[in-house]
Order: sequence, then structure tokens, then C-alpha cells
Amino acid sequence: MERVKQPLIHITKRAPMPLWKALCIRAGAVLLALIVCAIFISASAPKQKGFFGYFGSLFTGVFGTERRFLLFLQDTALLLCVALALVVAFRMKFWNLGGNGQVLMGCLACAMCMYYLGGKWADGWVCLLMFFASVAAGALWAVIPAVFKAFFNTNESLFTLMMNYVALNLVAFFITHWYPTGTGAMPPLEDANLPTFGSGVAGRVLPVVLVAVIVTAAIYCYLRFSKHGYEISLIGDSKNTARYAGINVKKVVIRTLVLSGALCGLVGFLLVGSINHMVSTTMDDNMGFTGIMVAWMGKFDPLIMTGVAFFIIFLSRGMGQVCTDFGFTSEALSDIVVGLIYFFFIGCEFFIVYKVHFNFRPRAARAQPAFEMNGESAHKAAEGESPSKDGTQNEPAMSEAAPLIAEDAATMSEGAKTADVPSMSEGNPEAEPPPRTRRAKNGGNKEGK
Amino acid sequence: MDTFFANAISFGVIFLFGCVGEILTERSGHLNLGIPGIMCVGAAGGCLGVKLAAMPTDGANGFLVVLSGILFAMLFAGILGAVYAFLTVSLRCNQNVTGLAVTIFGVGFTSFFINNVVMTEGVSTALSFAGQNFFNAHIPGIEALGWFGTVFLSHGALVYLAIAIAVAAAVVLRYTKAGLNLRAVGENPATADAVGINVTGYKYTFTVLGAAIAGLGGLCYVMGYMSGIVGSNVDQTIQGIGWLSIALVIFTLWKPAFSILGSIVFGILYILSSRITGISFEQIPLLNLVPYVVTILVLIVTSIVGHRETQPPASLGLSYFREDR
Repeated sequence: MERVKQPLIHITKRAPMPLWKALCIRAGAVLLALIVCAIFISASAPKQKGFFGYFGSLFTGVFGTERRFLLFLQDTALLLCVALALVVAFRMKFWNLGGNGQVLMGCLACAMCMYYLGGKWADGWVCLLMFFASVAAGALWAVIPAVFKAFFNTNESLFTLMMNYVALNLVAFFITHWYPTGTGAMPPLEDANLPTFGSGVAGRVLPVVLVAVIVTAAIYCYLRFSKHGYEISLIGDSKNTARYAGINVKKVVIRTLVLSGALCGLVGFLLVGSINHMVSTTMDDNMGFTGIMVAWMGKFDPLIMTGVAFFIIFLSRGMGQVCTDFGFTSEALSDIVVGLIYFFFIGCEFFIVYKVHFNFRPRAARAQPAFEMNGESAHKAAEGESPSKDGTQNEPAMSEAAPLIAEDAATMSEGAKTADVPSMSEGNPEAEPPPRTRRAKNGGNKEGK
Repeated sequence: MDTFFANAISFGVIFLFGCVGEILTERSGHLNLGIPGIMCVGAAGGCLGVKLAAMPTDGANGFLVVLSGILFAMLFAGILGAVYAFLTVSLRCNQNVTGLAVTIFGVGFTSFFINNVVMTEGVSTALSFAGQNFFNAHIPGIEALGWFGTVFLSHGALVYLAIAIAVAAAVVLRYTKAGLNLRAVGENPATADAVGINVTGYKYTFTVLGAAIAGLGGLCYVMGYMSGIVGSNVDQTIQGIGWLSIALVIFTLWKPAFSILGSIVFGILYILSSRITGISFEQIPLLNLVPYVVTILVLIVTSIVGHRETQPPASLGLSYFREDR
């Protein structure tokens, strides 16, 4: 018998995986990534602190002092807010890559209010205006691409990307405009700072964390329980279905992006009004991009995203300490580590959705069918088929189907089905859904003698 | 004025490398948002290659230095491109997310690599020596040709390499069977697969090749335009150039031949702010945002016009799984 030429690697889709198994795969991927990073760092570090010293440094970098821990909370809160802002758009499959620009515009609007009105109006009024200006500026930066996406189907991912750089240059313009003789940096403004709860770092961090908690809860409810949230998910799944259900897709796209941009603007408001009291071109800290990763890794679910945001900030802040402890001069190490984590995490999704079969020994595979269910049903299908004359005419090897490996049998039954009776599946309901195997090439013809 | 256009061309080819690389990638149906990171890594690899070949400056062979820079830039960028290709082609991950991860990793890696591995004692002088004498070496005696010589013939090897690659890419895409197959893969991989085209093979080949070409853009910036002067924020600058290169793909409607002109236009717009005399300090950022605004306008216009020839490849951004229906 001629041997079937089989691809070495064969990929099929899995049935939905139980949650604990999926979580195990993800945890394994992250662990693997951390170990790879640890090996890389301990191999290339100028100062040796041993393999486990790396993990120790990570923890002291984040939880070592009260100040570090508070900054860790603050960064997480800000990143989470940006990620939540983006996730409402992502649920709609609107790729808002403009988080950086929207945050920067929020920062800029806030700083403008502080610069022009600080000291002239009462602080309370300025703060109120700062809030509205930031939110409006962020929303404006998101709604421009949204309008063109809604009406002309303009590519939103590139549009929002370009808007990032427009925002960046606008910020640079205003800084040089306000401080023409300076070095391009802006000194912190004294007036119209947001009130703090108590003194020190804790007083500054607390409002930010509070805002993040409120935003997380609000977005969770908005996406989960509100009609708007449902409309967003529906548009994400199928625009045509949404249109058929009577949803005004254009309106929802624009409305959602206003919300998305407004939340980014809110982050800008917090960054300038509460934390920095000035604006710079790098103030967004690339949170727009990191937020995309957080949203994606968090499966677009606000609660999982909270955990992911904690993890990412844990790594990037912890890496600062690792750099000092291991004698690296460049802080960019944290980007490498976080990037590696992304690769592993993105890659592991594949193993949750798909299953990989290796066909090293085709004969041995016969003893253990790769597909229990499909194999059996195909078996039945093949047996039911073999007496039929026209079936055997088209597929001469049909009667030999039973001892073949399950996949091939499944493939052949599929071939016989198409060749013989189109409504085969009605007589044999187990054969549905059709086996997801390599039926694309040529049915079972090659198996013939 | 002659020098201005010469500078515009020598800057524009950086975009050209990135743009042609991205066109080849996008024609296979993959929107590689990792191009900025890949260009950065190309710069890092190129610096390493130049360092290895040019370190004893007095005995260095100019040809070997340039070749080593090109090979290492393509190797580094190609490896990162292969990571992207593995994640998106084989593991079928979301292309936007993977691309951004590649960018984040690539930019961080470049900053780290250049500071910690490449820039050891005496390397910066070797790099600038190689940049000035080897990468920007031009045909002697072109000053006699007047403006023509200054604008078109006063460039280093990388500029001509970029234009040669763009022309080659245009010819391959338009007139060869491989190009036809590639376009088929980008438009409708299922149909291409049915015809018997090796979809996975084409996607891998052109994603990695596109990344390698884009990586030359990073090398071209550091060694060509900057003449080997590696600034502290080189990774951020190249990242900005990388995003513009991706935008240029749309500007040139996915055609490598157009991209030669488009990249020069972008080069003019990009260096405008630093070359115009008589503008104040605060107007520089306003001029800097012109290329981005122009790109946005082109995006809008092409989407409104909606002509078939101006549309992206139909399956751009979608993963292909043969057994999906």
C-alpha cells in the first residue's frame, strides 16, 4: 500500500477549553518567559547575583519601600485607565492605537488651563475647567478618526497612530511657545494643582487610585450590563447583524470613541493636574501602546485587565531595581523583558485555540486515533458507506477505510459524502460537524492502490 | 537649494527602505506594525556589524565594512521579522497586537544593545569614521556636474541600494510569477491555496524579507544620514520614522515604484523644519507635524475616493487558517 504523504505538523481547532486549563497554559507561558529573561539577565549582567537574585530584585523594586509601592499603585492605576479607555473601542474592533496622543492632548489642555488661568481665577474653578478641557481634548482626538471611520471607512489604526505624532508636536510647540528661552522642558506650575489627600506621595497617589477604581467599576458595568455595551459587542461581532438589528452603527462608533478619548483625556488630567503639574512630550509614557497589550492580554475583560496591568507594571518597575542590582546602565532592559513576556503571552493563545498534531510515525498513530469523536463517527460513516456501490466507485479504497488512521477515515468519509449524497449528514447526525482535518487537498484518493 | 534636495533624498531613502519592506509584507496580507521596532533593531545590528569590521580603523576595508553593516542589519531585522512571522503566520496571533509587541521589544532592545553592547571604548569614533568615509563615500569628481551631480550623484551606496531594491520590488510584484502569487496570497489566501500556491511559504518569505529590507532603513539612518553619530535617543527617532514609513505605504497606494517619489516627498517634509532659515524656534514643531497631517489627508482622500486600485490588499490583517470557513 502506498503511504500517504502527510504533513509533519497538523493543526486543528480545539473545542473550547476549560478555564483552568487555559489559565494553566497562560501561567506556564508567563513563567517560561520569566525564566528566559532570568537566564538572559544572569548571563549578560556585569554584576552577578545568581539566578534567583533576579526574582528577589523584582520584588524589592516594587515592594521594597512604601514610596515604591505607592508609585507602583499609581502607575498601575494610570495604565489601567488607559487600557479601559481603549478596550471599549477594541470590543467594537475599532483599533484605537492613538492612546498616547489622546493622553497627551488631555495633558496639554489641562496644562493650558493651568498656564493661562492659574492664579487669575480661583483654584477651584480652574480645576473644574481643567477637568472638562482635558476630557474634551482627549475626546476630540479620538472622535476625528472615528467620524472618518464611520462615514468613509478610513483606516482607523493608521489614522490614530498619526494623531499621536500630531499631538506630540503640538505639545512641543506649546512648550517652546510658553518658554522660548528654555531647554524644551517646562517647570512645574504652582497654581491650580489638584487637592491632595494628606501630604507626601500617599496623598497624591490616593486620588489617582480612587479614580481608577471608579473607572474600572463603571466600565465593567457599562460593557456588561448596559444597552450601549451590548451594542458595542454586537458591532464587534458583526456589523451587518448590528445594522439588521436596527443599531445605528455610525452613531455607536462615534459615541464609543468619544468615551474612549474622554477617558484617555481624564488620564492626562490626572497626570498634569495631580501628579506632574507640567507637561512634556514623553508624559504619555507609551501607555497607549502598553494599554493595548493590557487590553488584549486581559481578554477585553476589565477585571482580568486589572490583574494584567498590575503584572505589567510590577515587571517594568521591578526591572528598574534589577538594572541597578545587576549593574546595567540602561533602563531599557525593562522594555526587553516586558516585550518578551508579550511574545510568550501572545503566542500561547495559539495553544488554547488550536491543537497541534505531530505525524512522526503514521503507523503508530493508527493505534491511538487523534480524534475520538470524529474518528468514531467517520468510522460509522465509512461503514455505512461501503455497501453503497456508487460510493465505492468514486472512492475505490472506501472499504478499506476502517483500519486507516482516524483522520484519514474522516477525510475519506468527507470525500465520499461530497461525492455521493449531499444530504449524507441527515442520515448520520454524528458526522456533523464535518471533521476539521486535511480534507482540502484531495479527499482519500491517494490511499487507493 | 541643491544641498537641500540632496539631503531630502538621502533622508527619504530611510523611508523608502521601511516602506518597500512594509509593502512586501502587506502584499502577503500582514500588517506589520512592528516595522518601527524592526528598523531600530536593524540600526543596532548595523552598528554591531560596522563595529566588528571597522574596529581597527586604520586597516579597515571600506567595502567589507559596508557589507558587514548591511548583512548584520538584515540579519537582526530578519530575526525579529521571523519572530513576527512565526507569531502571526504559524500561531495566527492578532497582527496589530503582535506588531506593537515587536515595536516595544525592538525599541527597548536597540536602546539596550547600543548602550551596553555596541558602545564600548572607542567605538563611537570608529562608527563616525566608517559613516563618513565608507557609507557616505561618493563618486569622485561629481562636483563638476553642477546641480545634477549634487542632487543625484553625491550619495553613499545605501541610497542607490534603496532605489535598486524599490525598483526590483516593483518589477517582481508587477511582472513575475512570484509577484502574482504574492498578490494572490494577500488578496485571498484561500483561493491562492486552492490553486496550489504555498501560502505559508509566501507569507514567511515576504514577511522576513520585508523586515530585512526595513532593517536597512535603520542602518541607513545611523550610518548614512547621521554619518555614524549615534545619538542618545536614536531609538525614539527611528521609531517615529518607522511609523511614517508605514503611513507612506498608504500614501504610495501599495506600489513600490510610487514609493520612490513618495519617500522623497516625505524626506523633504521631514527635514523642512531643520533646513528652512529664518523660522523661529517655536515654529519647528509645527513644521514637524506636516508629514503626519499630509498622511492623514491622504488616508482620508483615498478612503473617500474608494477606487479599487487604491485599496489595501483584501485580506490585510486577517490570519489564514486553511480549515476555517
